[in-house]
Amino acid sequence: MKFKVTDSENISTVFLNGEIDMDIADDVREVIFPLIDSGKEVHLNLKDVQYMDSSGISVIVESSKRAKDKNTKVELKEVSQPVEKVLAMARKFL
Amino acid sequence: MNTEVADPTNLSEKKDFLVRSSSLKDVRSFSREVFEKFKIDEDLREELVLAIAEAAQNIVKHAYKDYPDTQDRMAVRISCTGKELEIAFFDKGKPVEESKVKHRAIDDVKPGGLGTFFIQEIMDSIKFKEGDKPWINNLVLTKKL
Repeated sequence: MKFKVTDSENISTVFLNGEIDMDIADDVREVIFPLIDSGKEVHLNLKDVQYMDSSGISVIVESSKRAKDKNTKVELKEVSQPVEKVLAMARKFL
Repeated sequence: MNTEVADPTNLSEKKDFLVRSSSLKDVRSFSREVFEKFKIDEDLREELVLAIAEAAQNIVKHAYKDYPDTQDRMAVRISCTGKELEIAFFDKGKPVEESKVKHRAIDDVKPGGLGTFFIQEIMDSIKFKEGDKPWINNLVLTKKL
């Protein structure tokens, strides 16, 4: 997985791509969590993510909870169709 | 990859993988390759790949929880009768206690819990069996086509 982070004022946008599974979920956490811990609002751009499983969803949920604890937030931006399908299924779990 | 039966109405392919999270991408590649060969409806393919990957992930995550450096291999067999798809998993890890296989609340979401929910959403049936030697666990998922 490759990723890119751009900063604009207090918002960091993380561009993820490829396939997000259990094997790389910790790599994604290592990118996102420090941004949240620094108090930034984090936007996740998932338009180039071709596959995401429950591990990827867990990263999103954990990130949102972590952001709430730090009085900031995580937002999803430009979600790819495969990821949207998995998110739709995960929402039934809510 | 082994094609066990050449009859196009009764196809079966099986492959084994090292029990590691790094094998999951190979499990997905194998599944996609088989579904293309079996001419499974394209809209269904990625859902099935997700179910297979989640089940394989559960083996890595739960059956081998205390053995991250195992050299054991797990096997995945995909069979198609034309009307039904059967996906079987074989592993030699800790025996599955079916009563403990359930999904969790979203605020305690972990890959195993949500993954099991995804499998239940995608597949028509899930059966845990005792594996024939040398296997310990044999999970069988089915989906009507």
